[in-house]
Parts: sequence; C-alpha cells; structure tokens
Amino acid sequence: MSAVLIAAGILAFGLCTGMLSGILGIGGGTFMVPFMVLALGIGQHAAEATSLLVVLPTSVVATFVLARRGAVDVRRSLQLGLMGAAGGVAGALIALALPADALRRVFGLFMLIVAARMLHGLWKTRGQAGHA
Amino acid sequence: MTDTFDAAAPLSHRPSAPRPATPLPKLVAIGLLGGLLSGLLGVGGGTVMVPLLVFWAGYAQRDAHATSLGAIIPISIVSAATLGSGAHIDVRAAVFLTLGAVVGARVGAKALVGADDRKLQWLFGCFLLLAAVLMLVQG
Repeated sequence: MSAVLIAAGILAFGLCTGMLSGILGIGGGTFMVPFMVLALGIGQHAAEATSLLVVLPTSVVATFVLARRGAVDVRRSLQLGLMGAAGGVAGALIALALPADALRRVFGLFMLIVAARMLHGLWKTRGQAGHA
Repeated sequence: MTDTFDAAAPLSHRPSAPRPATPLPKLVAIGLLGGLLSGLLGVGGGTVMVPLLVFWAGYAQRDAHATSLGAIIPISIVSAATLGSGAHIDVRAAVFLTLGAVVGARVGAKALVGADDRKLQWLFGCFLLLAAVLMLVQG
C-alpha cells in the first residue's frame, strides 16, 4: 500500500474518532490505541503516548466550540480535570504494584453492567420520551 | 437557564450550562476517582468520568459529555508529560490522527450542543458496552 493511502486512512480514522470524541465527551484513546496497535503495528506504549498527544488538541478544540456556545462551564471542567490528573498519577503509580489484568477484568465487568443497565433502562422507556 | 435538567425530563434543544448546584467536593471526588481508574487501567478519563457525572452527580447526559471534554485537557497534559516523556512517539500517526481528529472534534462538539439527552444516552451506552468488551478481551 502506498504511503499516501496509509496517510489518508489514518486521517479518515482520526476524523471519525474526533467526531465521536466530540459527541461522546471522551478523549478517543479507546479507539485510537487499538487502531494504532492492530492496524498500524505500533507498540502498545508508543500507541498510548501518541494517542495522548492527539487527545489534547481534540479536547481543546471541542471545549472551545462548546465554550463559545455557552454549553460548558470551562472553570468547573478544568477543576475536575486537575483532580483527574492528580488521581491519574496516583493510579498509574498504584498500577505498578497491582495485578493489572485482574483489575482490568473487574472494571471491564463493571462497565459492562453499567452499560447494560443504561441500555436496558432506555429500551424499557422507549416511546415515553418525546423523540422520533 | 435556571431550569434543572435531568435525564428523564422532556428534551430541550437549547445549550444548557452544567448544573451549578453540583457541590465541589463531589466534583473533586469524581475527578480523583476518574483519574485514578484511568491511570490504573489505561482507559480514557471520559469513559470513567461521564458515567460518574451522570449517575452520581446528577448531571444531564449532555452536560456530562461537555464537562468531561474540558476535564480531559489537564489530564492529557499531565499524562503525556508522565507517560510520553520516555516513550517513542509515532510521528506519522500523531500528525494525521490529529489533523483528522481536530476537524472531527469541531463537528462532534457542534452536534453535542444540539443533541437530545436520550439519544446521547443510547450512544454513550453503546460506546460503554464496546469499551467494556474491548477491555475484557484485552484482559
């Protein structure tokens, strides 16, 4: 495959990830890291570091758009993020001492339950809220 | 803008400011917890913070998404500085993903402003399900 095609593919993937990130309120690492590892053959650590570099401008642009429309309290957001950053450093340090795979499985299961409850609740109340 | 939003309330297509009533200690706890889990498990902060903001702090789905995006800014700066300092960066992937993502983020954020909460809940629920499966498969 030519370099141009690969670049276009990465660009298209970035575009989709950016759109999903903007609407879902996430960074996009959940999509980008597996993409880089599986499709581009980048190592796990390099993929994670690269993804963080992409997440930053993505969240800045999305926040700028939301702030200009008065849809976000930027101060609150950044306060939350500062706490998150502190917690993240602590989490990364703790992770070194704990069995990551077991944690991952427990949390994955928890996410699965939250998602199932959320979707089940929505399914049960379908038609009740005023949307098409 | 004084009305309160909750997930079950009738839709409003106006942009809504996050509920000012959310107490700061709760926000601090969510930030710490979200960051902790994200650092511990390598998941994005938003995956953890959005459900916490909705189910614990009582944010409307849309406000939680918007708040999470802003919160990701300092988190990604600190994480990149910690994790990225020693790691190899794939420049080609970084450049082209960023070019695409920045354009996409504008589109996504604009869509978020006008989106209704139920549709956002469906979308986030599906995303969370996918993210959970990805995590379990990896583990």
